[in-house]
Amino acid sequence: MIMDLALKQINTLPTPTWNRLGINYRNLETKDLSFAPYSGEPLSALPDGVSVSVLPFPKPELETGMGESAEDFVRSNQTYGLSLRVAAGVKASEPVKLDFCLNGENPTLADAVDITAEENSELTVVMSYRSEGDFAQFHGGLTRLYAAKGAVIHLVQVQLLGESCTHFDNVGAFAEEGGKIDVIQAEVGGKTALSGVKTRLDGEKSSLVMDTIYFGDGSRSIDMNYVAEHYGRKTNSEIHVTGALLHESEKTFRGTIDFKRGSKRAVGHESEYNLLFSPKVRNKTAPLILCAEEDVDGRHGASTGKIGENTLFYLMSRGLSELEAKKLLIEAQFRPVTDRIPDESLRTAVMEYVQGRLSGLESMG
Amino acid sequence: MERKKAAVQDIDRTIYDIKDKVNAAYQVEGGLTPEIVSEISDQKNDPDWMREFRQKSLKIYNSMENPNWGPSLEGLNMDNIVTYIRPNTPMRGNWAQVPEDIKNTFERLGIPQAEQKSLAGVGAQYDSEVVYHNVREEVKRQGVVYTDMESAIHDPTYGPMVREHFMKLVPPTDHKFVALHGAVWSGGSFVYVPPHVKVEIPLQSYFRLNAPGAGQFEHTLIILGEGADLHFIEGCSAPKYNVANLHAGCVELYVAKNARLRYSTIENWSKNMYNLNTKRALVEEGGTIEWVSGSFGSHVSYLYPMSILKGENSRMEFTGITFAGKGQNLDTGAKVVHAAPHTYSNINTKSISKDGGVCTYRSSVEVLPQAYGCRSAVNCESLMLDDISRSDTIPVMDIRNDDVEIGHEAKIGRISDEAIFYLMSRGISEEDAKAMIVTGFAEPIAKELPVEYAVEMNNLIKLEMEGAIG
Repeated sequence: MIMDLALKQINTLPTPTWNRLGINYRNLETKDLSFAPYSGEPLSALPDGVSVSVLPFPKPELETGMGESAEDFVRSNQTYGLSLRVAAGVKASEPVKLDFCLNGENPTLADAVDITAEENSELTVVMSYRSEGDFAQFHGGLTRLYAAKGAVIHLVQVQLLGESCTHFDNVGAFAEEGGKIDVIQAEVGGKTALSGVKTRLDGEKSSLVMDTIYFGDGSRSIDMNYVAEHYGRKTNSEIHVTGALLHESEKTFRGTIDFKRGSKRAVGHESEYNLLFSPKVRNKTAPLILCAEEDVDGRHGASTGKIGENTLFYLMSRGLSELEAKKLLIEAQFRPVTDRIPDESLRTAVMEYVQGRLSGLESMG
Repeated sequence: MERKKAAVQDIDRTIYDIKDKVNAAYQVEGGLTPEIVSEISDQKNDPDWMREFRQKSLKIYNSMENPNWGPSLEGLNMDNIVTYIRPNTPMRGNWAQVPEDIKNTFERLGIPQAEQKSLAGVGAQYDSEVVYHNVREEVKRQGVVYTDMESAIHDPTYGPMVREHFMKLVPPTDHKFVALHGAVWSGGSFVYVPPHVKVEIPLQSYFRLNAPGAGQFEHTLIILGEGADLHFIEGCSAPKYNVANLHAGCVELYVAKNARLRYSTIENWSKNMYNLNTKRALVEEGGTIEWVSGSFGSHVSYLYPMSILKGENSRMEFTGITFAGKGQNLDTGAKVVHAAPHTYSNINTKSISKDGGVCTYRSSVEVLPQAYGCRSAVNCESLMLDDISRSDTIPVMDIRNDDVEIGHEAKIGRISDEAIFYLMSRGISEEDAKAMIVTGFAEPIAKELPVEYAVEMNNLIKLEMEGAIG
């Protein structure tokens, strides 16, 4: 069946502000999509102690970063589904890899993946999305994470889709006492890329570390909504976003640290570093701190601008052209995050993808 | 043993809360109809253009919705608000001629003393009309015009200037409550400073709303000529009633090439007031607007002075402090549009919330495509004094070119243990260290105000330090 995607008010800012700024939410429309079961096998192997679960997800009501309509869309059109569970006390030695490839056979993908880490377990899940061929494609993903007491989930999502692809990653996460959620997202491909991550730090000393890199060239549009909700005492969140905008690309970042009453001694830090390379880019940022608890430490810092002249001068004095120097600096900016991707081939793939895009450029503007 | 807490006292409102008997010469019915707006026009002998403007604004008001963001306005019912109350006195230029009851009110608030000490001129508004206006001779001799808005509109020289600028910078279509202002405005001040004139000491307007259930809708229009320099201070207060009052004033500031305007406000409305004020400045090449803003009173505030940096090398500095206690929801901040190259903005705000009070810092920094070489720095800091209060920070940046340096820093939390430890390691007692930190929190704002106002502000935030904070 051919259908249209029309998602209203997704990636909603938890507390709205002036409508004229156009940052309170985002709508997403794509025409003529058809969905059929994914014919590939993205899952290569399961490490010991990790199973494809038949048990229901422990928090079915968990909220996601993009919101209900994006969740419902994936559920109604799901082409791939998986529920992973790591047993109590097991620290999986290898990551679980889910490698999706969109091509003529699978032009669209709507995947729903649930990940449950039982008490004191640890699991890494690496999800990657790539394209073959250049035709209109769509990916919409729903990923839910549940870290029980003392459990650790590392989630890596790498999006290297083609230039005409519409893509969204919709994530909801929940952490019990001492549970840790660690998310790396590389939003470097696609024509329109949206990402939403909402994490509920429910138990005492639970934590979130979130690192995102984004790369906008051409007329790419990137839209992010990250929310860290602190409910438990001594909870900790770190949200760090780094990216570069070239040509006529645009990016919207919404980042919210939400200290609920009772989250005493919680700490939430958020930082954003944007490099801009063209007078035609558009960079929108809304970093929120919502606070109903006195005994917390919430901070946000953002800096946006050009590469410093001294840095450029230094590199150019070493014989690099201005364009080469800028390309090098973009790569360097992504390194600290890509180096944390636990799969070497994927790590290389991300850098090669960025390098490939950069190498074709004759100018940044 | 129970951990003792330091307390920040509520604002002592004794002098602000003394009510005068309502002794109006004239007032319209409550509510808002074309007839009431027409009645205001009749009372004020509006020229035709203003009559039409008011009716057009009313239509816009009726076509618009309340904001779908920000604090609730549910308790505000326009059917119960009296939009025009004329006090029982004409405007005086001699303080002795102001009626006793009104004079006493302003004297309690210290307005005549302030004028005697250091002000170049004072306008005092009581309910809907300015009751007293005086400008020092030496300022008049410089060609400075400081008068009430009604006189300015009817003035053969300045009337056309008012018409040219009135609600052009803040059009009635901007939002619902500025449309309301356009329909029912009365009172306020007009200031014109000729080119290259530097007014050495501040001009001041003080707005006092006395009648229960009333609205105050004063309009302030300030026009600075090229290279002119002015400090304008406005103060506002009202006694507390058990019905909602509304303040929906409008401030339009035109800062010409290389001119500098400092606009300082201490808002100390009572806790039944809805303060929905709109302030905007247009700054030409090389000009500077400096906002100093203290928001202490009101039940609900929506207050975000906006600066449009239209000319190359124009600048904006915003320094603000907000203090919300019990029953208060104060949504404050600043907006800036960088519309020209090499413009600069700096926003520095602090807020304190206690006893269930809600402080929200809300801002927007927009850099338009043509505004290359811009710099903007935003720094906001919030202090929470208990866990029944709220403090939210909602800043937005929208950058549309690459030749910019934009920095933003926000911090929310309690007083840092490290700071206390540092001071204690220098031999200061724990209590004194905490007192110093809380007092010092407001210091950057206080030092920007003339000394009389700094004293008033410090009186508004009285600290009672006893044991630990938090």
